[in-house]
Amino acid sequence: MATAARPDASQTSSPVGRGVEPLRAGKGNSFLLRKLHSLSGIVPIGAFLIEHLLSNFEALKGPLAYAEQVKFLNSLPLVRVLEVCLIFIPLAYHALYGVYIALRGKANVIYYPWSGNWMYMMQRWTGYIAFVYILQHVIRQRFMGVSLPEHPGAAFHKVQMELSNPWMLAVYVIAMIAVCWHFSYGIWLFAAKWGITPGANARRRFGYVCALLGVVLAIMGLASIYAFVGPEYRNAPADVMPAQTHLTAPAWHGTEFLRARKLRV
Amino acid sequence: MAEKTIQIEIKRQSGPDAPSTWEKFEVPWKPGMNVISAMMEIAANPVNAEGQQTTPIAYDSNCLEEICGSCAMVINGKARMACSALVDKLEQPIRIQPLTKFPVVRDLAVDRSVLFENLKAVKAWVPVDGTYDLGSGPRVFPQQQEMAYPLSNCISCCCCMEVCPQFNESTGFVGAATIAQVKLFNSHPSGKVLKEERLRALAGDGGVQECGFAQNCVQACPKQLPLTEAISDVTRDVTLQVVKDFLRA
Repeated sequence: MATAARPDASQTSSPVGRGVEPLRAGKGNSFLLRKLHSLSGIVPIGAFLIEHLLSNFEALKGPLAYAEQVKFLNSLPLVRVLEVCLIFIPLAYHALYGVYIALRGKANVIYYPWSGNWMYMMQRWTGYIAFVYILQHVIRQRFMGVSLPEHPGAAFHKVQMELSNPWMLAVYVIAMIAVCWHFSYGIWLFAAKWGITPGANARRRFGYVCALLGVVLAIMGLASIYAFVGPEYRNAPADVMPAQTHLTAPAWHGTEFLRARKLRV
Repeated sequence: MAEKTIQIEIKRQSGPDAPSTWEKFEVPWKPGMNVISAMMEIAANPVNAEGQQTTPIAYDSNCLEEICGSCAMVINGKARMACSALVDKLEQPIRIQPLTKFPVVRDLAVDRSVLFENLKAVKAWVPVDGTYDLGSGPRVFPQQQEMAYPLSNCISCCCCMEVCPQFNESTGFVGAATIAQVKLFNSHPSGKVLKEERLRALAGDGGVQECGFAQNCVQACPKQLPLTEAISDVTRDVTLQVVKDFLRA
């Protein structure tokens, strides 16, 4: 097929030789890194966010139900491996590469105040908020104070103490809205950018779906926050499961195990 | 009574490395005037608002009917074609500056060769050159024509790139125009012979992945190209191509 050899790049490049660089056709690995960033926002991070918000929603049933949920999550097989592989590593990648993406974009909403452009900017700002919030949230709630994997009964009290500070409460409310915004618009962006919703009408309709999801998640999240600061469970006990000292379910006694096998056979 | 005039402020620069300054002009109003014809008035009488002799404004323009793509510039803060920017519909003083993301050659004339380089990088053509008659090409069905025609309207004005928050020197993003042309030529029955090469090119640094879907391109496009739809479709094709190449490697 007649595809003439390209002349030397130095002859064809811009006579002024400045400005935005042309496409580096087929070179580099930013495509893979960018797509991984996009995908990691949906799975596993988005899936984890939904799990987290659903778990938090248990707080509305009170300290004991919340403790049971924390205990259940910490009893998942290989839970520490899951935590590192499905939460910490993807979250760190999404956060750091996301900041890199955001810093390279040049928002121009002042000149072009169009809705898509606003959302572009908001996605970056909610990302920054989420970044700072999640960093302190993980440090203070996961790695400082009472260790919840060993003491699930202390979960409600620990969060309640954190939210008793009105500044912290404000931080949590703002971050809850920002994170739900970032996630729901992120789903919309994912569908648009991966070619799932190429059509303008499809994107508009899916926009309603994502907006609804975002509002529902945010309301659920804010309701959970209310469970900790509202009047119903005020002054929750420091540990509602004081006997619970370790995670692992009691192992079956050898004879019991054999008896069970025999019965099944 | 003095004749009606219009106020224009133009960001001027005598050469690529010269400093830029704003110069004010007061130009006699004429019915149906557009930004280009206003600058023609300046060229006919190159005197600025202070009454000093100055040089005519340098700018690119050709067809004056929004079809050649030459006269894109930033008018009152918006990237648009100067020929279709009617003076009577613009707020005064009309502030005109060159496109901000392309190197200035002089005044309002900028170097947009990056788009040409990008179109070459993705082989945005139908490869039918040869030494013998290849006969007539394959038939193109009307449905295909309906899809392709809007994409073929691109006038390479670079407005979509100018307004894109991702098109800048840090990302080196290819821009919506080139991606739309990839969709056009990949859908052409003869052009699709280069489909895989085009998609692989767009997976390179500065390719489709840099799109942030701010959708400014589709808002700013003077020819109403379905740019976001093209980006969505082409990104899917690029992703599938990358996966295929990985699995067939």
